[in-house]
Amino acid sequence: MAEGEDEQPTPTPHASGASAPPPTPEEAQAEQAQDAGKSTAAGEPSPAFDTAAGGGGRKSDSTGPPTVAPEAAAAAKAAAPKPARPAKEAEAKEAPRIAPPAGSVNELLAAALPGVAMQAYLVPALRGEEVAVEVGRDDIPAVLTAARDDPRLELTYLRCLSGIDWQEGGLEVVYHLLSMNHGHQLTVKTRVTYDDPVVPSATSIFPAADWHERETRDMFGIVFDGHLNLVPLLLPEDMTDHFPLRKDNPLQEIDEWQGENLRDGAGEGDE
Amino acid sequence: MTARAKGTSSVVVEQDAPEIVDIPINMGPQHPSTHGVFRMVLVVSGEKVLDVTPHIGYMHRGGEKLMEAMDFRQGIGYADRTEYLAQFSAELGYVLAVERLMEIEVPERAQYVRVILTELNRLSSHFMFMGAFGIDSGLFGTSFTYAFREREYLQDVFEEVSGDRLMYAYFRVGGLAWEVTDNFVERVHDVMKTSAKGIQDLDDLLTRNEIFMARCQNIGSFSAQQAIANGLSGPILRASGVPWDLRKDEPYSIYERFRFEVPVGHYGDVYDRYLVRLEEMRQSLAIIEQALEGLPEGPIVPDKMPRRLRTPPGEVYAKVESPRGEWGVYLVSKGGDKPYRMKMRSPSFCNLSALREMTIGQYLADAVMILGSMDIVLCDVDR
Repeated sequence: MAEGEDEQPTPTPHASGASAPPPTPEEAQAEQAQDAGKSTAAGEPSPAFDTAAGGGGRKSDSTGPPTVAPEAAAAAKAAAPKPARPAKEAEAKEAPRIAPPAGSVNELLAAALPGVAMQAYLVPALRGEEVAVEVGRDDIPAVLTAARDDPRLELTYLRCLSGIDWQEGGLEVVYHLLSMNHGHQLTVKTRVTYDDPVVPSATSIFPAADWHERETRDMFGIVFDGHLNLVPLLLPEDMTDHFPLRKDNPLQEIDEWQGENLRDGAGEGDE
Repeated sequence: MTARAKGTSSVVVEQDAPEIVDIPINMGPQHPSTHGVFRMVLVVSGEKVLDVTPHIGYMHRGGEKLMEAMDFRQGIGYADRTEYLAQFSAELGYVLAVERLMEIEVPERAQYVRVILTELNRLSSHFMFMGAFGIDSGLFGTSFTYAFREREYLQDVFEEVSGDRLMYAYFRVGGLAWEVTDNFVERVHDVMKTSAKGIQDLDDLLTRNEIFMARCQNIGSFSAQQAIANGLSGPILRASGVPWDLRKDEPYSIYERFRFEVPVGHYGDVYDRYLVRLEEMRQSLAIIEQALEGLPEGPIVPDKMPRRLRTPPGEVYAKVESPRGEWGVYLVSKGGDKPYRMKMRSPSFCNLSALREMTIGQYLADAVMILGSMDIVLCDVDR
């Protein structure tokens, strides 16, 4: 079963530029160009960013390059190769982006925030799917505030805040929000570049973000502008210039002591 | 008139008056009441706590980075080592995330066994809390010996099933590592009887104990708004009056099949957190009872289980209600057999981040109780 595939178990993220492009390079670039070096006051949604990145469309159902129409997406999902048996051709490096159905959380958010460019798509939840939106970094305070305060959203609970190092795609900050009153959730994402890894802090909106942001700064070097106490939390106090969870700190490969057996099919059916 | 003892003159000489300073007190990292390697620097004025600075990270091992280098089978063991008092919950969150990405249907029997073991694990974890919390409140070990006796019985069952007392690694992607022992059902019934008695013992020992009540009530209170804003979860959140339990509100595995109550506190203080946990243990027994009744025969892994675990690209945020709160696993995959990014949203970490707000304004002696009421696992905090 798929022995050929097993020869290259880790799709190294360094693979090449030929892999599918990161989802929003345009946004990141436009944002960077527009920011011209320093992120300033982190509050206002910036109209210039909209025209630059959003392509004029507010609800980005049609703007994002990988976004697929719902029915096409459903078909694509049905036809997607079984994960257990990867197709012989090169595996996709990015999940297909499926636009959320009408009436999802992202529409409420877009209605609450006219003029903020956001790209919405579905991500798997344990049961079914939930909605993720990608927004520009400068829109983060506005988006989080609206998500928390809008009476139809009431996403008052910050479950989790994480950083991801996408290498060519820059650094990403992911906010998982939950509304206990409405029972819906929303994932907010934003991307920054390595040269300017600054994201407005969410601590004034969600006090829960405090330690999460400190941890993310420790691990990824993402600076949260406006955090009052952004000192190392998990790492030693003087370790402020090395970011362990970035992908340029590769871990040594673990010796797989069962790997040979698995490859030549020995012990098939055991265990 | 007798002469005063030397040095106790009632006349205060102005220039000799002591300067009043706030004293920072270092507590930990080797302090028995910090439940692990945790240090906090308290600034006190008299007995009042003016400020707290928690210092964590003594046990940071880069667990998330390590799991990026492990394939999905190896990562299970690491989930155990992260949350070493609720190992089955940690394993469950991890395997649920992988199963969701791989779209694997887990057989019924495996689901039931998982629920039984996870709830037994909740009992053992809460027993641990009861024992340690009693020591925090000054019981000098009575509650500890009561609770640890019961915990031993539970660990015996886990050991029989998984072969290990602490690092079980028994849940696998797709199901279970192997079939449970033949006498599993009787053993669980036995241990439920002893646990029920143990819960009652602790209830009798602690709940109406006057000293215990005096030490617990009205300290560390958090309102529902505060608890939500600070990202608390689990028994602490419910003690503040928020009826949020992932087993009920976002059911995973097969929890929607069981009838149980979600205990909710009223005052949000340390005492309510204790009461919520006590009642949760009884509810766990109810869940186990129902799960044992419904436990079907059948396979414990799917028929068409791939030998090599590979997920398609994608991401999933899986969350389970661990004894400490929401144990979240944010798994990002670029395809292949290893996670591209593994974020563990540990309930201990998120709950502990509210310690500062909870402790300021309280008495120094109560800081220990507040920390104890959080029931943190420092391995889980530092990861």
